[in-house]
Amino acid sequence: MSRRCRIAAAAGGALLAAALLTPAGASAHGLVGRQDLPIPRWLFAWGAAVVLVASFVALGTLWAKPRLQAVRERRVAGLPRALEVVLGLLGIAAFAAVVYAGFAGTQTPTANLAPTAIYVVLWVGVPVLSLLFGDVFRAVNPWRAVARGVGWAAKRVAGRGGLPEPLPYPERLGRWPAALGLLAFAWVELVWAQRDDPSSLAVLALVYAAVQLLGMALYGVEPWTRRGDAFSAYFSLVARMSPLRWQRRGMWVRPVLGGVPSLSPVPGTVALLCVLIGTTSFDGLTQGTLWNDVAPDLQAFFGDLGLNQDRAIEAAFTVGMLVCVLGVAALYRLGVEGVRTVGAGRPARELAGAFVHSLVPIALAYAVAHYFSLLVYQGQAMAYLASDPLGEGSDLFGTASATIDYGVIGANGIWYVQVGALILGHVAGLVLAHDRALVLYGEARDATRSQLWMLAVMIGFTSLGLWLLSASAQA
Amino acid sequence: MIAHAGHWLVNLLYALPVVVVGGLLGWQVVKDRLAQRRERGAGPEAGG
Repeated sequence: MSRRCRIAAAAGGALLAAALLTPAGASAHGLVGRQDLPIPRWLFAWGAAVVLVASFVALGTLWAKPRLQAVRERRVAGLPRALEVVLGLLGIAAFAAVVYAGFAGTQTPTANLAPTAIYVVLWVGVPVLSLLFGDVFRAVNPWRAVARGVGWAAKRVAGRGGLPEPLPYPERLGRWPAALGLLAFAWVELVWAQRDDPSSLAVLALVYAAVQLLGMALYGVEPWTRRGDAFSAYFSLVARMSPLRWQRRGMWVRPVLGGVPSLSPVPGTVALLCVLIGTTSFDGLTQGTLWNDVAPDLQAFFGDLGLNQDRAIEAAFTVGMLVCVLGVAALYRLGVEGVRTVGAGRPARELAGAFVHSLVPIALAYAVAHYFSLLVYQGQAMAYLASDPLGEGSDLFGTASATIDYGVIGANGIWYVQVGALILGHVAGLVLAHDRALVLYGEARDATRSQLWMLAVMIGFTSLGLWLLSASAQA
Repeated sequence: MIAHAGHWLVNLLYALPVVVVGGLLGWQVVKDRLAQRRERGAGPEAGG
């Protein structure tokens, strides 16, 4: 038998042994109930890795010069100024409705508009809309609309030149305020014991709005919105992948992903993306068995330090969330260190910034994969919550009796969407990183060699994502 | 632990693609360094 045949036979034997030992056996224990997949889940991870390697090879052979660094945009429609005002007012009205519902409505989370509007519509729905239609949040951003309205009125009263100029936005701050804001939001969503309490969410919404208004008052509406406002920064990152761009009162069309390479790697950008990927990973981790094994020990540790049960749980979850964010940052850093070994040995900080935009589609892929079922199922609740936002029996739009149809997509369908999102997101990341490497290294050979390390990182993120999803599906 | 191998082994299988690609990369780095050392070693001989 030749050496290759022996290797193939050994690999086949290992595959068979693994298949016999794992999901089929697991399902015999009754651990796999909701999904009925034709192949074990881990094979999807292997399949995803094969797709990534094939994409990498295809990029190396067929994508020999940069194509996404300076894309052409075409204006296809104009927008009236009045539309900006109307959308801004709609955003303010929606924000006011959520806050009012939080305070005045029933405190049952599923019957109150506030939790679903914040955790499902804002956190999951808006990124999906941003991918499809561009930066739609910018148009309806309530605190931006308020600040612009106040600024417009103040200029009318004080006259031109009567108002002091805002402070220059400090370069070293970069996207750090947004990164910290997203970390705080993730903490509220995943860690805080009162995360579902409508009145607590309403208070936090007001606090967040106040911080944004203060930031805009100090540094100007647009600079702060771009880099300081956590939600705007996140949604605008995702919108860079969209074929649509809204600017200068017009709708512009560009290639998909065409807006991502122009992302400026200011301080905090890597942190922002690591927070997005890391906190989503942690959300997946908490639904699996590994975390359920570790968490009680952590809680006991914090309990021994004198914290009560709620605080001990929060402390344990805080540690877990931070470890996940740092783990994602370490994985990315590992890839950057690998890239450094190729070419002229550029500084790690420069390379981390140069390739950070390739994490944007991965962050969205993680979000879609982890929250797709939440969006599809709990998103339907908006039909009755819009009619009865306070949960007190009103029927404003005649849809108060609507219910959630859990048959709209099955467990298998959700799994395929999750796998598809992860693969597409990581292939997009590879494309972006390869395109940038061609600019940095000039020679296609060096660019491809440097991207071998990014390929490893992408496969790492894909495997991690699928493992987390699989663990939560089996739990 | 062995009796429950099916439960924990599956977790390792997710990491296998990363291990394979990482291993190949590491092997490539070692090969590159060895080649560099060989070139350095061959330099004086070729010159002398």
